Amino acid sequence: MKCGVRFCGGCNPRYDRGKAYEEIKNKIKSVDFLHAVEDDRYDCLLVIGGCTNCCASYDQFDVKGDVLKMWDQDHIGKIEKNFSAFQDCKTEDDNK
Amino acid sequence: MLMTGAQYIESLRKLKTRVYMFGEKIDNWVDHPIIRPSINCVAVTYDLAQDPQYADLMTAKSSLTGETINRFAHLHQSADDLRKKVKMQRLCGQKTASCFQRCVGMDAFNAVFSTTFETDKKYGTKYHENFKKFLEKVQKEDLVVDGAMTDPKGDRGLAPHAQRDADLFVHIVERRDDGIVVRGAKCHQTGSINSHWHIIMPTQAMREEDKDYAVSFACPSDADGLYMVYGRQSCDTRKLEDGADVDLGNKQFGGQEALVVFDDVFIPNEYIFQAGEYDFAGMMVERFAGYHRQSYGGCKVGVGDVLIGAAALAAEYNGAQKASHVKDKLIEMTHLNETLYCCGIACSAEGYATEAGNYQIDLLLANVCKQNVTRFPYEIVRLAEDIAGGLMVTMPSETDFKSDLKVGRNGETIGEICNKYFAASPACTTEERMRVLRFLENICLGASAVGYRTESMHGAGSPQAQRIMISRQGNIEGKKELAKAIAGIK
Repeated sequence: MKCGVRFCGGCNPRYDRGKAYEEIKNKIKSVDFLHAVEDDRYDCLLVIGGCTNCCASYDQFDVKGDVLKMWDQDHIGKIEKNFSAFQDCKTEDDNK
Repeated sequence: MLMTGAQYIESLRKLKTRVYMFGEKIDNWVDHPIIRPSINCVAVTYDLAQDPQYADLMTAKSSLTGETINRFAHLHQSADDLRKKVKMQRLCGQKTASCFQRCVGMDAFNAVFSTTFETDKKYGTKYHENFKKFLEKVQKEDLVVDGAMTDPKGDRGLAPHAQRDADLFVHIVERRDDGIVVRGAKCHQTGSINSHWHIIMPTQAMREEDKDYAVSFACPSDADGLYMVYGRQSCDTRKLEDGADVDLGNKQFGGQEALVVFDDVFIPNEYIFQAGEYDFAGMMVERFAGYHRQSYGGCKVGVGDVLIGAAALAAEYNGAQKASHVKDKLIEMTHLNETLYCCGIACSAEGYATEAGNYQIDLLLANVCKQNVTRFPYEIVRLAEDIAGGLMVTMPSETDFKSDLKVGRNGETIGEICNKYFAASPACTTEERMRVLRFLENICLGASAVGYRTESMHGAGSPQAQRIMISRQGNIEGKKELAKAIAGIK
Protein backbone atom coordinates (compact mmCIF):
# COMPACT_ATOMS: atom_id res chain seq x y z
CA MET A 1 0.00 0.00 0.00
CA LYS A 2 1.31 3.42 -0.98
CA CYS A 3 0.43 6.31 1.31
CA GLY A 4 1.15 9.93 0.43
CA VAL A 5 2.10 12.17 3.34
CA ARG A 6 1.34 15.86 3.54
CA PHE A 7 2.44 18.05 6.45
CA CYS A 8 0.79 21.34 7.34
CA GLY A 9 3.29 24.22 7.13
CA GLY A 10 4.18 24.07 10.82
CA CYS A 11 3.64 27.70 11.88
CA ASN A 12 3.00 26.82 15.53
CA PRO A 13 2.75 23.04 15.96
CA ARG A 14 1.68 21.76 19.38
CA TYR A 15 3.82 18.63 19.03
CA ASP A 16 6.81 17.43 16.97
CA ARG A 17 5.21 16.44 13.66
CA GLY A 18 8.45 15.01 12.26
CA LYS A 19 8.91 12.69 15.23
CA ALA A 20 5.27 11.61 15.06
CA TYR A 21 5.75 10.72 11.39
CA GLU A 22 8.86 8.67 12.20
CA GLU A 23 6.91 6.84 14.92
CA ILE A 24 4.11 6.02 12.49
CA LYS A 25 6.59 4.71 9.91
CA ASN A 26 8.24 2.53 12.54
CA LYS A 27 4.93 1.12 13.76
CA ILE A 28 3.39 0.49 10.35
CA LYS A 29 6.12 -1.18 8.32
CA SER A 30 3.79 -2.71 5.75
CA VAL A 31 2.87 0.67 4.23
CA ASP A 32 5.08 2.72 1.92
CA PHE A 33 4.93 6.28 3.20
CA LEU A 34 6.05 8.88 0.67
CA HIS A 35 5.98 12.68 0.71
CA ALA A 36 3.04 13.44 -1.57
CA VAL A 37 3.76 14.96 -4.99
CA GLU A 38 1.28 15.93 -7.68
CA ASP A 39 2.35 13.60 -10.47
CA ASP A 40 1.89 10.38 -8.50
CA ARG A 41 -1.11 8.32 -7.33
CA TYR A 42 -1.63 7.08 -3.78
CA ASP A 43 -3.83 4.44 -2.14
CA CYS A 44 -4.43 6.85 0.73
CA LEU A 45 -3.16 10.12 2.12
CA LEU A 46 -1.95 10.94 5.63
CA VAL A 47 -2.26 14.63 6.57
CA ILE A 48 -0.13 15.59 9.56
CA GLY A 49 -1.32 18.88 11.05
CA GLY A 50 0.34 20.71 13.93
CA CYS A 51 -2.87 21.94 15.58
CA THR A 52 -6.62 21.39 15.48
CA ASN A 53 -6.94 23.57 12.37
CA CYS A 54 -5.01 20.95 10.35
CA CYS A 55 -4.84 23.47 7.48
CA ALA A 56 -2.59 21.57 5.04
CA SER A 57 -3.79 21.69 1.44
CA TYR A 58 -4.20 18.28 -0.20
CA ASP A 59 -6.87 18.54 -2.93
CA GLN A 60 -4.08 18.69 -5.50
CA PHE A 61 -3.04 15.07 -4.87
CA ASP A 62 -4.40 12.01 -6.66
CA VAL A 63 -5.68 9.71 -3.91
CA LYS A 64 -7.70 6.54 -4.57
CA GLY A 65 -8.79 5.89 -1.01
CA ASP A 66 -9.27 7.76 2.23
CA VAL A 67 -7.57 10.83 3.58
CA LEU A 68 -6.47 10.31 7.20
CA LYS A 69 -5.88 13.41 9.30
CA MET A 70 -4.02 13.82 12.56
CA TRP A 71 -3.27 16.95 14.57
CA ASP A 72 -2.18 15.56 17.92
CA GLN A 73 0.47 13.16 19.18
CA ASP A 74 -2.32 11.04 20.67
CA HIS A 75 -3.75 10.39 17.21
CA ILE A 76 -0.93 8.01 16.32
CA GLY A 77 -2.86 5.05 17.78
CA LYS A 78 -5.96 5.99 15.77
CA ILE A 79 -3.90 6.20 12.59
CA GLU A 80 -2.42 2.78 13.33
CA LYS A 81 -5.91 1.27 13.74
CA ASN A 82 -7.09 2.90 10.54
CA PHE A 83 -4.24 1.39 8.56
CA SER A 84 -4.97 -2.05 10.02
CA ALA A 85 -8.59 -1.69 8.91
CA PHE A 86 -7.45 -0.54 5.46
CA GLN A 87 -5.21 -3.49 5.06
CA ASP A 88 -7.90 -5.93 6.21
CA CYS A 89 -10.18 -4.47 3.52
CA LYS A 90 -7.44 -4.65 0.95
CA THR A 91 -6.75 -8.33 1.75
CA GLU A 92 -10.48 -9.08 1.38
CA ASP A 93 -10.50 -7.30 -1.99
CA ASP A 94 -7.45 -9.23 -3.12
CA ASN A 95 -9.13 -12.53 -2.19
CA LYS A 96 -12.28 -11.77 -4.21
CA MET B 1 12.71 26.61 -10.23
CA LEU B 2 13.05 26.81 -6.45
CA MET B 3 16.58 27.59 -5.29
CA THR B 4 18.18 26.17 -2.16
CA GLY B 5 19.62 28.50 0.45
CA ALA B 6 23.13 27.68 -0.74
CA GLN B 7 22.19 28.43 -4.36
CA TYR B 8 20.69 31.74 -3.28
CA ILE B 9 23.91 32.74 -1.50
CA GLU B 10 25.96 31.79 -4.57
CA SER B 11 23.61 33.78 -6.80
CA LEU B 12 24.45 36.92 -4.81
CA ARG B 13 28.12 36.54 -5.70
CA LYS B 14 27.26 37.19 -9.35
CA LEU B 15 25.90 40.65 -8.52
CA LYS B 16 28.07 43.75 -8.64
CA THR B 17 26.09 45.58 -5.98
CA ARG B 18 27.96 48.61 -4.64
CA VAL B 19 28.00 48.53 -0.83
CA TYR B 20 29.68 50.98 1.58
CA MET B 21 30.17 50.59 5.33
CA PHE B 22 32.29 52.50 7.86
CA GLY B 23 33.42 54.82 5.06
CA GLU B 24 34.77 52.06 2.85
CA LYS B 25 33.62 50.09 -0.19
CA ILE B 26 32.89 46.48 0.73
CA ASP B 27 33.80 44.28 -2.24
CA ASN B 28 33.04 40.88 -0.74
CA TRP B 29 29.85 41.81 1.09
CA VAL B 30 28.49 38.25 0.87
CA ASP B 31 31.07 36.98 3.37
CA HIS B 32 31.39 40.11 5.48
CA PRO B 33 30.86 39.11 9.14
CA ILE B 34 28.48 42.01 9.82
CA ILE B 35 26.37 41.39 6.71
CA ARG B 36 26.43 37.58 6.42
CA PRO B 37 23.94 36.79 9.22
CA SER B 38 21.26 38.75 7.32
CA ILE B 39 22.03 36.74 4.18
CA ASN B 40 21.78 33.50 6.16
CA CYS B 41 18.38 34.67 7.32
CA VAL B 42 17.04 35.07 3.78
CA ALA B 43 18.58 31.70 2.88
CA VAL B 44 16.24 30.12 5.45
CA THR B 45 13.25 31.20 3.34
CA TYR B 46 14.71 29.06 0.53
CA ASP B 47 15.63 26.03 2.63
CA LEU B 48 12.26 25.84 4.38
CA ALA B 49 10.53 25.78 0.97
CA GLN B 50 12.48 22.59 0.14
CA ASP B 51 11.40 20.81 3.35
CA PRO B 52 8.20 18.72 3.15
CA GLN B 53 7.42 19.65 6.76
CA TYR B 54 7.08 23.31 5.77
CA ALA B 55 6.30 23.27 2.04
CA ASP B 56 2.55 23.75 2.53
CA LEU B 57 3.19 27.23 3.88
CA MET B 58 6.41 28.07 2.08
CA THR B 59 5.26 27.31 -1.47
CA ALA B 60 2.23 28.16 -3.59
CA LYS B 61 0.95 27.59 -7.10
CA SER B 62 1.65 30.63 -9.28
CA SER B 63 -1.45 32.36 -10.61
CA LEU B 64 0.66 33.51 -13.58
CA THR B 65 2.37 30.28 -14.65
CA GLY B 66 0.80 27.40 -12.71
CA GLU B 67 4.25 26.44 -11.44
CA THR B 68 5.14 25.81 -7.80
CA ILE B 69 6.86 28.92 -6.47
CA ASN B 70 8.12 30.28 -3.17
CA ARG B 71 5.18 31.92 -1.39
CA PHE B 72 7.29 35.06 -0.97
CA ALA B 73 6.81 35.61 -4.74
CA HIS B 74 3.08 34.80 -4.74
CA LEU B 75 0.03 36.90 -5.60
CA HIS B 76 -2.53 36.01 -2.93
CA GLN B 77 -5.49 34.28 -4.58
CA SER B 78 -7.79 33.87 -1.58
CA ALA B 79 -8.27 34.69 2.08
CA ASP B 80 -6.68 31.31 2.76
CA ASP B 81 -3.55 32.50 0.92
CA LEU B 82 -3.50 35.60 3.12
CA ARG B 83 -3.72 33.45 6.26
CA LYS B 84 -0.96 31.18 4.99
CA LYS B 85 1.22 34.21 4.38
CA VAL B 86 0.93 35.18 8.07
CA LYS B 87 1.60 31.61 9.17
CA MET B 88 4.66 31.42 6.93
CA GLN B 89 5.99 34.61 8.47
CA ARG B 90 5.48 33.27 11.97
CA LEU B 91 7.36 30.12 10.98
CA CYS B 92 10.29 32.10 9.53
CA GLY B 93 10.45 34.26 12.66
CA GLN B 94 10.60 31.12 14.79
CA LYS B 95 13.45 29.70 12.74
CA THR B 96 15.60 32.87 12.68
CA ALA B 97 14.59 35.06 15.67
CA SER B 98 15.30 37.92 13.26
CA CYS B 99 13.82 39.92 10.42
CA PHE B 100 14.09 37.60 7.40
CA GLN B 101 13.67 40.54 5.02
CA ARG B 102 11.75 38.94 2.18
CA CYS B 103 8.29 40.26 3.13
CA VAL B 104 8.70 43.75 1.69
CA GLY B 105 9.07 42.31 -1.80
CA MET B 106 6.00 40.09 -1.43
CA ASP B 107 3.93 43.00 -0.14
CA ALA B 108 5.16 45.21 -2.98
CA PHE B 109 4.24 42.56 -5.59
CA ASN B 110 0.65 42.42 -4.38
CA ALA B 111 0.25 46.19 -4.03
CA VAL B 112 1.80 47.01 -7.43
CA PHE B 113 -0.15 44.22 -9.18
CA SER B 114 -3.54 45.59 -8.20
CA THR B 115 -2.64 49.29 -8.48
CA THR B 116 -1.20 48.97 -11.99
CA PHE B 117 -4.36 47.15 -13.09
CA GLU B 118 -6.53 50.07 -12.00
CA THR B 119 -4.07 52.66 -13.36
CA ASP B 120 -4.15 51.03 -16.80
CA LYS B 121 -7.94 50.95 -16.70
CA LYS B 122 -8.06 54.73 -16.26
CA TYR B 123 -5.13 55.83 -18.40
CA GLY B 124 -4.68 53.04 -20.96
CA THR B 125 -1.08 52.55 -19.85
CA LYS B 126 0.74 49.19 -19.98
CA TYR B 127 2.07 49.08 -16.44
CA HIS B 128 0.14 45.96 -15.43
CA GLU B 129 1.60 43.94 -18.32
CA ASN B 130 5.06 45.29 -17.47
CA PHE B 131 4.62 44.19 -13.90
CA LYS B 132 3.27 40.72 -14.73
CA LYS B 133 6.27 40.05 -16.99
CA PHE B 134 8.63 41.19 -14.26
CA LEU B 135 6.92 39.05 -11.63
CA GLU B 136 7.01 35.99 -13.90
CA LYS B 137 10.77 36.41 -14.07
CA VAL B 138 10.98 36.78 -10.29
CA GLN B 139 8.89 33.65 -9.76
CA LYS B 140 10.73 31.61 -12.38
CA GLU B 141 14.19 32.54 -11.09
CA ASP B 142 13.11 32.51 -7.40
CA LEU B 143 14.56 35.98 -6.79
CA VAL B 144 14.60 38.20 -3.71
CA VAL B 145 13.19 41.68 -4.36
CA ASP B 146 13.37 44.61 -1.97
CA GLY B 147 10.14 46.58 -1.89
CA ALA B 148 11.38 50.13 -1.31
CA MET B 149 8.99 52.84 -0.20
CA THR B 150 10.42 55.19 2.45
CA ASP B 151 12.07 58.37 1.14
CA PRO B 152 14.27 60.57 3.37
CA LYS B 153 11.40 63.14 3.28
CA GLY B 154 13.45 66.14 4.46
CA ASP B 155 11.22 68.80 6.03
CA ARG B 156 8.08 66.87 6.99
CA GLY B 157 6.03 70.04 6.68
CA LEU B 158 6.74 70.40 2.97
CA ALA B 159 5.51 68.51 -0.09
CA PRO B 160 8.10 66.71 -2.26
CA HIS B 161 8.27 69.48 -4.90
CA ALA B 162 8.64 72.17 -2.21
CA GLN B 163 11.70 70.69 -0.47
CA ARG B 164 14.92 72.76 -0.47
CA ASP B 165 16.67 69.74 -1.98
CA ALA B 166 14.62 68.19 -4.80
CA ASP B 167 16.24 64.78 -4.26
CA LEU B 168 14.74 64.11 -0.83
CA PHE B 169 12.03 62.09 -2.56
CA VAL B 170 12.84 59.74 -5.46
CA HIS B 171 11.79 61.49 -8.65
CA ILE B 172 12.00 61.44 -12.42
CA VAL B 173 14.72 63.79 -13.69
CA GLU B 174 14.52 62.88 -17.37
CA ARG B 175 11.94 61.27 -19.65
CA ARG B 176 13.26 59.50 -22.75
CA ASP B 177 11.54 57.49 -25.47
CA ASP B 178 13.00 54.30 -24.06
CA GLY B 179 12.59 55.00 -20.35
CA ILE B 180 13.15 57.40 -17.46
CA VAL B 181 16.09 58.55 -15.35
CA VAL B 182 15.48 58.67 -11.59
CA ARG B 183 17.28 60.36 -8.71
CA GLY B 184 16.88 60.28 -4.93
CA ALA B 185 17.17 57.73 -2.15
CA LYS B 186 15.20 55.25 -0.07
CA CYS B 187 15.96 54.94 3.66
CA HIS B 188 15.81 52.05 6.15
CA GLN B 189 15.74 49.52 3.32
CA THR B 190 15.37 46.09 4.85
CA GLY B 191 17.23 43.39 2.97
CA SER B 192 18.25 45.73 0.16
CA ILE B 193 21.85 44.56 -0.19
CA ASN B 194 21.00 40.87 -0.43
CA SER B 195 18.12 41.40 -2.86
CA HIS B 196 18.57 40.62 -6.55
CA TRP B 197 16.19 43.40 -7.61
CA HIS B 198 14.38 46.40 -6.14
CA ILE B 199 10.80 47.58 -6.64
CA ILE B 200 10.47 51.27 -5.92
CA MET B 201 7.15 52.80 -4.85
CA PRO B 202 6.18 56.36 -3.88
CA THR B 203 6.28 57.08 -0.16
CA GLN B 204 3.00 58.98 0.16
CA ALA B 205 -0.06 60.22 -1.72
CA MET B 206 0.92 62.88 -4.26
CA ARG B 207 -0.71 65.95 -5.83
CA GLU B 208 -0.35 67.19 -9.40
CA GLU B 209 2.61 69.42 -8.56
CA ASP B 210 4.41 66.29 -7.28
CA LYS B 211 3.74 64.15 -10.34
CA ASP B 212 7.45 63.54 -11.04
CA TYR B 213 7.60 61.96 -7.58
CA ALA B 214 4.73 59.58 -8.36
CA VAL B 215 7.05 56.90 -9.70
CA SER B 216 7.26 53.12 -9.38
CA PHE B 217 9.66 50.81 -11.15
CA ALA B 218 11.89 47.74 -10.84
CA CYS B 219 15.66 47.78 -11.22
CA PRO B 220 18.51 45.35 -10.54
CA SER B 221 20.31 45.92 -7.24
CA ASP B 222 23.55 46.40 -9.15
CA ALA B 223 22.17 48.89 -11.72
CA ASP B 224 24.50 51.66 -12.89
CA GLY B 225 24.19 54.63 -10.57
CA LEU B 226 22.72 52.63 -7.68
CA TYR B 227 24.65 52.18 -4.42
CA MET B 228 23.96 51.44 -0.77
CA VAL B 229 25.30 52.61 2.58
CA TYR B 230 24.93 49.96 5.27
CA GLY B 231 22.98 50.89 8.40
CA ARG B 232 24.79 50.04 11.61
CA GLN B 233 23.09 48.25 14.46
CA SER B 234 23.57 48.15 18.20
CA CYS B 235 26.56 45.90 19.12
CA ASP B 236 27.32 45.28 15.40
CA THR B 237 31.12 45.33 15.76
CA ARG B 238 30.96 42.39 18.17
CA LYS B 239 30.66 40.38 14.95
CA LEU B 240 34.17 41.53 14.00
CA GLU B 241 35.75 40.12 17.18
CA ASP B 242 37.92 37.03 16.70
CA GLY B 243 36.00 33.84 17.44
CA ALA B 244 32.88 35.72 18.55
CA ASP B 245 30.10 33.30 19.44
CA VAL B 246 28.35 33.51 22.83
CA ASP B 247 28.56 37.31 22.95
CA LEU B 248 26.66 37.62 19.67
CA GLY B 249 23.50 36.08 21.12
CA ASN B 250 22.42 35.02 17.65
CA LYS B 251 25.53 34.11 15.71
CA GLN B 252 23.79 32.74 12.66
CA PHE B 253 20.99 35.16 11.83
CA GLY B 254 20.22 38.89 11.79
CA GLY B 255 18.47 41.68 9.94
CA GLN B 256 19.80 44.32 7.58
CA GLU B 257 18.93 47.89 6.59
CA ALA B 258 20.63 50.35 4.26
CA LEU B 259 20.32 53.70 2.57
CA VAL B 260 19.76 53.02 -1.13
CA VAL B 261 20.86 55.85 -3.42
CA PHE B 262 19.64 56.38 -6.99
CA ASP B 263 22.29 58.58 -8.55
CA ASP B 264 20.64 59.09 -11.96
CA VAL B 265 19.59 55.52 -12.67
CA PHE B 266 18.11 54.72 -16.08
CA ILE B 267 14.93 52.62 -15.99
CA PRO B 268 13.81 51.06 -19.31
CA ASN B 269 10.08 51.36 -20.16
CA GLU B 270 9.44 47.65 -19.54
CA TYR B 271 10.25 48.04 -15.83
CA ILE B 272 8.13 51.14 -15.18
CA PHE B 273 4.89 50.68 -13.14
CA GLN B 274 4.01 54.33 -12.50
CA ALA B 275 5.45 57.53 -13.99
CA GLY B 276 3.42 60.60 -13.16
CA GLU B 277 -0.05 59.12 -12.46
CA TYR B 278 -0.06 60.94 -9.12
CA ASP B 279 -3.68 60.03 -8.34
CA PHE B 280 -2.60 56.37 -7.98
CA ALA B 281 0.37 57.03 -5.69
CA GLY B 282 -1.83 56.99 -2.60
CA MET B 283 -3.49 53.72 -3.63
CA MET B 284 -0.12 51.99 -4.02
CA VAL B 285 1.08 53.30 -0.66
CA GLU B 286 -2.10 52.34 1.15
CA ARG B 287 -2.17 48.83 -0.28
CA PHE B 288 1.50 48.16 0.41
CA ALA B 289 1.19 49.54 3.94
CA GLY B 290 -1.89 47.41 4.54
CA TYR B 291 -0.14 44.21 3.52
CA HIS B 292 2.94 45.14 5.52
CA ARG B 293 0.89 45.92 8.63
CA GLN B 294 -0.64 42.44 8.26
CA SER B 295 2.88 40.96 7.90
CA TYR B 296 3.88 42.11 11.38
CA GLY B 297 1.10 39.95 12.82
CA GLY B 298 3.19 36.98 11.67
CA CYS B 299 6.91 37.79 11.70
CA LYS B 300 7.02 39.55 15.09
CA VAL B 301 4.95 36.74 16.58
CA GLY B 302 7.49 34.15 15.41
CA VAL B 303 10.35 36.12 16.95
CA GLY B 304 8.18 36.54 20.07
CA ASP B 305 7.79 32.75 20.26
CA VAL B 306 11.57 32.35 20.49
CA LEU B 307 11.89 35.22 22.95
CA ILE B 308 9.28 33.69 25.25
CA GLY B 309 11.09 30.36 25.04
CA ALA B 310 14.38 32.05 25.92
CA ALA B 311 12.81 33.82 28.91
CA ALA B 312 11.42 30.48 30.13
CA LEU B 313 14.88 28.92 29.75
CA ALA B 314 16.50 31.81 31.62
CA ALA B 315 14.05 31.30 34.47
CA GLU B 316 14.88 27.59 34.51
CA TYR B 317 18.62 28.23 34.43
CA ASN B 318 18.28 30.77 37.25
CA GLY B 319 16.31 28.18 39.27
CA ALA B 320 13.30 30.51 39.35
CA GLN B 321 10.93 28.60 37.08
CA LYS B 322 8.57 27.57 39.90
CA ALA B 323 7.97 31.11 41.15
CA SER B 324 4.34 32.01 40.51
CA HIS B 325 5.15 35.52 39.30
CA VAL B 326 7.55 34.09 36.70
CA LYS B 327 4.89 31.68 35.45
CA ASP B 328 2.43 34.56 35.29
CA LYS B 329 4.83 36.73 33.30
CA LEU B 330 5.31 33.95 30.77
CA ILE B 331 1.53 33.67 30.47
CA GLU B 332 1.27 37.42 29.92
CA MET B 333 3.97 37.33 27.24
CA THR B 334 2.15 34.48 25.48
CA HIS B 335 -1.16 36.32 25.73
CA LEU B 336 0.31 39.44 24.14
CA ASN B 337 2.08 37.48 21.41
CA GLU B 338 -1.00 35.45 20.47
CA THR B 339 -3.09 38.64 20.44
CA LEU B 340 -0.83 39.96 17.68
CA TYR B 341 -1.27 36.69 15.80
CA CYS B 342 -5.07 36.97 16.18
CA CYS B 343 -4.89 40.37 14.48
CA GLY B 344 -2.76 39.02 11.63
CA ILE B 345 -5.14 36.12 11.05
CA ALA B 346 -8.26 38.28 11.42
CA CYS B 347 -7.28 40.88 8.80
CA SER B 348 -6.41 37.99 6.47
CA ALA B 349 -9.64 36.06 7.05
CA GLU B 350 -11.60 39.23 6.17
CA GLY B 351 -9.62 39.74 2.95
CA TYR B 352 -11.30 40.53 -0.36
CA ALA B 353 -10.55 40.31 -4.09
CA THR B 354 -9.22 43.43 -5.83
CA GLU B 355 -10.26 44.36 -9.37
CA ALA B 356 -7.05 42.71 -10.58
CA GLY B 357 -8.01 39.44 -8.87
CA ASN B 358 -5.44 39.16 -6.10
CA TYR B 359 -6.55 39.41 -2.48
CA GLN B 360 -6.22 42.43 -0.22
CA ILE B 361 -6.40 42.36 3.59
CA ASP B 362 -9.07 44.13 5.65
CA LEU B 363 -7.51 47.56 6.07
CA LEU B 364 -9.03 48.45 9.45
CA LEU B 365 -7.99 45.17 11.07
CA ALA B 366 -4.49 45.32 9.53
CA ASN B 367 -4.00 48.78 11.01
CA VAL B 368 -5.23 47.60 14.39
CA CYS B 369 -2.74 44.72 14.07
CA LYS B 370 0.19 47.04 13.45
CA GLN B 371 -0.92 49.50 16.13
CA ASN B 372 -0.71 46.64 18.65
CA VAL B 373 2.70 45.71 17.24
CA THR B 374 3.93 49.21 18.11
CA ARG B 375 3.22 48.35 21.78
CA PHE B 376 3.17 44.67 22.66
CA PRO B 377 6.74 43.68 21.70
CA TYR B 378 7.96 46.41 24.07
CA GLU B 379 5.96 44.88 26.92
CA ILE B 380 7.10 41.38 25.97
CA VAL B 381 10.73 42.58 26.03
CA ARG B 382 10.16 44.31 29.40
CA LEU B 383 8.87 41.06 30.88
CA ALA B 384 11.73 39.08 29.35
CA GLU B 385 14.26 41.45 30.93
CA ASP B 386 12.39 41.19 34.24
CA ILE B 387 12.63 37.38 34.18
CA ALA B 388 16.24 37.27 32.90
CA GLY B 389 17.71 39.59 35.53
CA GLY B 390 20.41 42.24 35.20
CA LEU B 391 23.12 39.77 34.28
CA MET B 392 22.00 39.85 30.64
CA VAL B 393 23.66 43.27 30.39
CA THR B 394 26.41 43.10 33.03
CA MET B 395 28.16 39.78 32.52
CA PRO B 396 31.79 39.66 31.41
CA SER B 397 32.70 38.77 27.85
CA GLU B 398 33.07 35.23 26.57
CA THR B 399 36.81 35.92 26.32
CA ASP B 400 36.83 36.33 30.11
CA PHE B 401 34.91 33.09 30.57
CA LYS B 402 37.57 31.32 28.49
CA SER B 403 40.59 33.22 29.87
CA ASP B 404 43.39 31.24 31.51
CA LEU B 405 45.03 34.33 32.98
CA LYS B 406 45.79 33.52 36.62
CA VAL B 407 44.36 36.18 38.93
CA GLY B 408 43.20 34.42 42.11
CA ARG B 409 44.92 33.94 45.44
CA ASN B 410 45.19 30.23 44.70
CA GLY B 411 46.05 30.65 41.03
CA GLU B 412 42.45 30.62 39.75
CA THR B 413 42.06 31.93 36.20
CA ILE B 414 39.62 34.65 35.15
CA GLY B 415 37.64 31.90 33.38
CA GLU B 416 37.42 29.81 36.55
CA ILE B 417 36.36 32.83 38.59
CA CYS B 418 33.65 33.77 36.08
CA ASN B 419 32.39 30.21 35.89
CA LYS B 420 32.38 29.95 39.71
CA TYR B 421 30.40 33.14 40.31
CA PHE B 422 27.98 32.89 37.42
CA ALA B 423 26.96 29.28 37.93
CA ALA B 424 23.30 28.90 38.90
CA SER B 425 20.94 25.93 38.56
CA PRO B 426 22.49 22.49 37.97
CA ALA B 427 20.03 22.24 35.06
CA CYS B 428 22.57 24.01 32.87
CA THR B 429 26.24 24.77 32.41
CA THR B 430 27.41 28.31 33.03
CA GLU B 431 28.00 28.67 29.31
CA GLU B 432 24.42 27.64 28.52
CA ARG B 433 23.19 30.27 30.98
CA MET B 434 25.41 32.88 29.32
CA ARG B 435 24.14 31.84 25.90
CA VAL B 436 20.48 32.31 26.71
CA LEU B 437 21.12 35.63 28.46
CA ARG B 438 23.14 36.95 25.51
CA PHE B 439 20.38 35.76 23.19
CA LEU B 440 17.89 37.81 25.22
CA GLU B 441 20.25 40.79 25.17
CA ASN B 442 20.48 40.48 21.37
CA ILE B 443 16.71 40.72 20.89
CA CYS B 444 15.94 43.15 23.72
CA LEU B 445 18.64 45.75 23.05
CA GLY B 446 21.29 44.31 20.74
CA ALA B 447 21.45 43.90 16.96
CA SER B 448 18.09 42.11 16.71
CA ALA B 449 16.32 44.86 18.67
CA VAL B 450 16.40 46.78 15.39
CA GLY B 451 13.90 44.28 14.03
CA TYR B 452 11.97 43.41 17.18
CA ARG B 453 11.63 46.83 18.80
CA THR B 454 12.19 49.92 16.64
CA GLU B 455 11.01 48.22 13.46
CA SER B 456 7.86 47.23 15.38
CA MET B 457 7.39 50.92 16.15
CA HIS B 458 8.18 52.50 12.78
CA GLY B 459 8.32 49.72 10.17
CA ALA B 460 5.25 49.65 7.89
CA GLY B 461 4.47 53.14 9.18
CA SER B 462 4.77 54.87 12.54
CA PRO B 463 1.92 54.60 15.07
CA GLN B 464 0.21 57.83 13.99
CA ALA B 465 -0.11 56.51 10.43
CA GLN B 466 -2.18 53.61 11.73
CA ARG B 467 -4.31 55.89 13.89
CA ILE B 468 -5.17 58.00 10.84
CA MET B 469 -6.26 54.85 8.99
CA ILE B 470 -8.21 53.58 12.00
CA SER B 471 -9.91 56.95 12.19
CA ARG B 472 -10.86 56.77 8.49
CA GLN B 473 -12.08 53.19 8.66
CA GLY B 474 -13.59 53.20 12.15
CA ASN B 475 -17.10 54.37 11.14
CA ILE B 476 -17.78 56.57 14.17
CA GLU B 477 -20.95 57.93 12.51
CA GLY B 478 -22.31 54.40 12.20
CA LYS B 479 -21.53 53.75 15.83
CA LYS B 480 -23.36 56.93 16.85
CA GLU B 481 -26.43 55.68 14.99
CA LEU B 482 -26.26 52.40 16.90
CA ALA B 483 -26.22 54.28 20.18
CA LYS B 484 -29.06 56.58 19.11
CA ALA B 485 -31.26 53.66 18.07
CA ILE B 486 -30.96 51.90 21.42
CA ALA B 487 -31.08 55.07 23.54
CA GLY B 488 -34.22 56.26 21.78
CA ILE B 489 -32.62 59.38 20.23
CA LYS B 490 -34.07 60.53 16.91
